[in-house]
Amino acid sequence: MLNMIEQVSSDTQMKDFEAHVTALEADLEYWRAKRCEPHVLHFVRRNFLPLHALFATAARMGTDGAGKPIFIRSDGKTGEEEHNHEHDHKHEELEERIRSLEDRLDDYVRAIALSATDPGKVDFVIDDSRKESGAYDPFFKLTKRAHGGSLEERIAQLDRELKQNMQVLETFTRCLMENGLLTEETIAKRRAQQENNGAKNGARVVARAWVDPDFKERLIANGREAMRELDIPPGLLAKLGVAENTDSVHNVVVCTLCSCYPRALAGDPPWWYRHDSYKQQIVQDPRGLLGKMFGLKVPEEVTIQVHDSTADLRWIVLPQRPAGTEGWSEEELAELVTIESMVGVSKPVIRRE
Amino acid sequence: MSSEPKNTPWSGPGARKEGLEHRFKAGERVRVRMSSTGANPRTPTYLLGKTGMIAELHGATYAPHDHRGVYPYLYTVAFDVSEISGKASKDKILVDLTEEWLEPV
Repeated sequence: MLNMIEQVSSDTQMKDFEAHVTALEADLEYWRAKRCEPHVLHFVRRNFLPLHALFATAARMGTDGAGKPIFIRSDGKTGEEEHNHEHDHKHEELEERIRSLEDRLDDYVRAIALSATDPGKVDFVIDDSRKESGAYDPFFKLTKRAHGGSLEERIAQLDRELKQNMQVLETFTRCLMENGLLTEETIAKRRAQQENNGAKNGARVVARAWVDPDFKERLIANGREAMRELDIPPGLLAKLGVAENTDSVHNVVVCTLCSCYPRALAGDPPWWYRHDSYKQQIVQDPRGLLGKMFGLKVPEEVTIQVHDSTADLRWIVLPQRPAGTEGWSEEELAELVTIESMVGVSKPVIRRE
Repeated sequence: MSSEPKNTPWSGPGARKEGLEHRFKAGERVRVRMSSTGANPRTPTYLLGKTGMIAELHGATYAPHDHRGVYPYLYTVAFDVSEISGKASKDKILVDLTEEWLEPV
């Protein structure tokens, strides 16, 4: 684990394939076994969608009567061409292949959100899905799939499972639509919301706070409401904690218990955020870890404050505006704000071309 | 703590509007209980028995998303890193904890 930390740098270069693949496996299993399939099973158990309806949809999808797929891969590829050109993979860079898997996992996660059922139509209780996923009773837990073998084999397995999981989700979603539980409009609306959120929202908030001191005050006092001024949907956010960096305080965010994260503002959490090496060491030796893992040297006179998100508050760091950006527009400033700087493991810097 | 303790009542979904009568005040020293049966399970074990200072008062919320009921008042409590790691450090850990886990020092 230590070895891995040293290999991770603050830039976006992938240094440790093994760690990426391990994270992918864990993430894929989480989304399949905790989020997607329990949701499907919940619908079957409650008879919102009888099992035969799912099979009927699946059978129709095998023929050309099903129309074009609802979820299209963001890289524009289809599973078929990949299958036919398997030998080409050997010539691809490992990094490219892993990145592609990561993009497809993102597609899967987004598609799960798109297919969430409209609570207006079905009396849908989140707790029920959690029951189904074994959150309270291990009896219901779906068995985890084993991953192993060489890196090659693990990548091939991930590729296969992503394809299969998407197929299940596509069938389920199509079946929901056929049975009037989900409409195309709802999916289109959610898709538009998704494209509009993520890290960009956080960057817009930070940039606005840099140029507008009144907004900054409102943001720190009541972040959730201040976000609305920028038309940002809060998502599942209950209360936003804004930790402002100053000349004497540097803030960092972690969730030692799981990976609570201000998704509405910072998109999906980076893989290291969910990794035990980050979660465990940041509360034991924040200064050492920031230097070792992210190359961030916090000056001795600056106090580090680590925010451990244990409750319904989601913390975001408001970094300091970099020197030399006087007169910049809000849009230009937003370009400087990275996810890392909003978690507090790096600072916004002016990139010199 | 370089930042002043704050009292910022919850205003998100499910905010409880009536009086915020927190048991502890901002700036007060508190200890995390070793156990708290039936309490919000989201108190990390590395904090059990540790002493910190109330930094912020948040009020209470009704079952947002994955909760099963109303939890008691929530606080942000500031701990010294040295209290947790046992090594000299000026840095702080700020953790959001519910009232039932805290006792006066």
